[in-house]
Amino acid sequence: MRTLWTYARTNVERTALILAAIVILLAIFGAWLAPFDPTQIDFRARLQAPSWEHLLGTDGSGRDVLSRLLHGAQITILSTLAVLSVVVVFGCAVGMFSAFVGGPIDNMLMRLADVWLGFPPLILALGFASALGASLEAAIWALIFSWWPNYARLTRMVTVDILSRKFIASADALGVPTHAKVTRYVIPNAFDVLIVQVTLDISAIMLAISGLSFIGVGAQIPMPEWGAMIADGRSYVANGWWIVLAPGLMIFLTAFSFNVIGDMLRRELDPTSRRRQP
Amino acid sequence: MTEALFAMDDVTVALRSNGRKMVTGVGLSVKPGEAFGVVGESGSGKTLLTRTVFGLQDDAELVSGRVRFDGQLLPEQGYARAARKLLGGRIGFVPQDPFSSLNPTMRVGKQITEALYLARGMPMGAQRTKARAIEVLGEVGIPEPELAFNQFPDQFSGGMRQRIVFAIALAQEPKLLIADEPTTALDAITQRRVIELMLGRCRSHGMALILISHNLELLRQSVDRIAVLYGGQLHNITHADDIGSRTVHPYTEALFECIPSKEKTLADIRAIPGEPVGAGFGTKGCAFASRCRYAEPICRETQLPLNGDQPGRFSACLLGRGADA
Amino acid sequence: MSGHPIVSLKGVAKTFGKRLLVQNRSFALSDIDITVGRGEVVGILGESGSGKSTVANIVTRLTGFDAGTYLFDGADVSAFDKKEGFRFKSRVQIVFQDPYGSLNPRATVAASIMEGLVLHRPEMDKATRRARVAQLLDEVGLPADCGDRYPHEFSGGQRQRIAIARALAVEPELLVLDEPLSSLDVSIQAQVLELFVKLIGERDLTIIFISHDVNVVRLICDRVYVMHQGRIVEEGSAEDVLTHPRNAYTERLLAAVY
Repeated sequence: MRTLWTYARTNVERTALILAAIVILLAIFGAWLAPFDPTQIDFRARLQAPSWEHLLGTDGSGRDVLSRLLHGAQITILSTLAVLSVVVVFGCAVGMFSAFVGGPIDNMLMRLADVWLGFPPLILALGFASALGASLEAAIWALIFSWWPNYARLTRMVTVDILSRKFIASADALGVPTHAKVTRYVIPNAFDVLIVQVTLDISAIMLAISGLSFIGVGAQIPMPEWGAMIADGRSYVANGWWIVLAPGLMIFLTAFSFNVIGDMLRRELDPTSRRRQP
Repeated sequence: MTEALFAMDDVTVALRSNGRKMVTGVGLSVKPGEAFGVVGESGSGKTLLTRTVFGLQDDAELVSGRVRFDGQLLPEQGYARAARKLLGGRIGFVPQDPFSSLNPTMRVGKQITEALYLARGMPMGAQRTKARAIEVLGEVGIPEPELAFNQFPDQFSGGMRQRIVFAIALAQEPKLLIADEPTTALDAITQRRVIELMLGRCRSHGMALILISHNLELLRQSVDRIAVLYGGQLHNITHADDIGSRTVHPYTEALFECIPSKEKTLADIRAIPGEPVGAGFGTKGCAFASRCRYAEPICRETQLPLNGDQPGRFSACLLGRGADA
Repeated sequence: MSGHPIVSLKGVAKTFGKRLLVQNRSFALSDIDITVGRGEVVGILGESGSGKSTVANIVTRLTGFDAGTYLFDGADVSAFDKKEGFRFKSRVQIVFQDPYGSLNPRATVAASIMEGLVLHRPEMDKATRRARVAQLLDEVGLPADCGDRYPHEFSGGQRQRIAIARALAVEPELLVLDEPLSSLDVSIQAQVLELFVKLIGERDLTIIFISHDVNVVRLICDRVYVMHQGRIVEEGSAEDVLTHPRNAYTERLLAAVY
């Protein structure tokens, strides 16, 4: 944590770090802080402007926006983490395997990843939504399915680069077994590149989940997912601007901070800026 | 004593970003037709100094000193631009890397004729320009220069490419040629040929040569005088013949003892203890004092400036070693 | 101790496959005969592209070969089973040219040096290993406290010393030095050269010294093989070959050297 802080060079980066910390804290403790039940409908209190009782007002069904926002932090962050962890573990495993075996298998796996990347996540999500029913789980599965090749390709590239370095020859000369090469040589040296990508992807995946929810193939109302909240609040923009603004701002600020942090990490950890081409 | 063709006096080079002085108080002069060597280990500042003096280094600048070429003092205002203007005309420059200093998409002949146009400012007729280019290619020892004229750089080996770079520099008939480690990328046999080619040109056309190298033995056998840089300071200007036979500056002596040359046995090799000090190390004393076997406490405090156009041997050693000429 | 030469290459050849329009002819080897006796310091001298580094990789079994035989201490390495192959790695070690690339940047110096001990001397306890590392650091002329630091904190010369300590940790019988001085500063080259001379004097080592530097080879090698375009063009005692060459290429090379 302290190292992260020392990396920050500009006030924007310091702000991003603080914001990211707040979002993470909200994801952990937000549910306890929420003053109301986020799904409690109260038609007598619908579309109330921000007040001392409802700090961020209420939505079209009279639900407290602040409470929804706080619960939503957890949902958004958890689903992002779910996607990321599966994608990183699976993608990195495929990429590393591909780099180690090389030859035709390597070629085949990478072509597969290329073809896979050709499927737009939106179409996949629609497919999953029709199979599993439109839900947050469907959106998560769709993202997992469409995102792993990014990591497979990145990890393969980084691993191939590491395997060509002289210290690997030196390890071979000592007879270091493959599993030890992976744990002691490849993973520690690939870590910097991967952590940068992961940080940048936090915001990308978060946006994707919210986006899918917004168009109706992800989280469904009344679940307080931020994207779904915007979708739900759309129809009230004229007389309830706060309903859209609050989750919109949260999405924007969270995505923005993780993006800034990702760029900062890339600058600090990876001076040569080896990175996957988009 | 002949008038110096090129001289720098009390030149100090600092980084633009933080003003850190990387090379301090260097003064040396090169006579017309002289082969002059500059030796230094990595971090000695030899490349930074040369590149800055000739306006090629964007991140460093001259913060003090005067540079004179062919009787003309380079202006303080717009120094880099004025210096760069000399390059490619009266001063030729051969960089270290023969692979990146040629345009891979342009025929060799075209690159030479272009240099000729630029140098003369006025075209001298396509036929004569081409003839001159082929002549220069022949002079640097390219076999079948007529054929080479129409070929692309990647059709040549490293050594041949370095000759082409050399030919481009020579096409303008420079009075001074600067070569910065021109042979580090080449094998020993090609290295010798390229160096001898440059020296030959020096002798036959009265062109002065500044040869920058980390290889003291190469310089000792090739050039007339050698300037020795260490830690961003100029420590010694010595006749090449004096190295190994007469007292020179302690660093020059120590550096020479490190090199396993033909005449030496294992017992003659003596390593310098410690690590080289980088340029811009930032103390006031002699940069070499920490590794010098003769060093006395005073050496860490003060440094003799080595300056100007004094003839012959010259040493910055405070203890007077190598300064007895 | 056996009477076999430690390394015996006979008629070894290696070609590199054509890769779509690119033919890597310069590093191909043909008909390499090299014999290295125990305790010898043998130089392999050649320009870049002569194939000398490929020889280093074949001798250390980092790469295979297409034809010929390689007997290590009398045993055919092609017939090695897994166990023998692994044991081979503790009997032969290599130090590479580039000290910046040959150490794992994410491992401490002590971990790098210890790695071979952990693999090949599993019976050794932690304290003994630590003591060995300290002893090796001292032997290569590094302060004992640098074990906990990372390679980037060291200069090129110091890193090369670390790489040498790492190679020596498993007590190899044969040490292959692949251009170990070429990327170092002149004054540091002499320091590392002195270290080699010291190691040759103090340890029971056989050394294959691969270099393009005629003068260094002449100073520290007993015998020398001169390589040119993937072939051995001349061999003999280093002093003899490098003062009175019989081969035209060797002669040209010697004439060119400063």
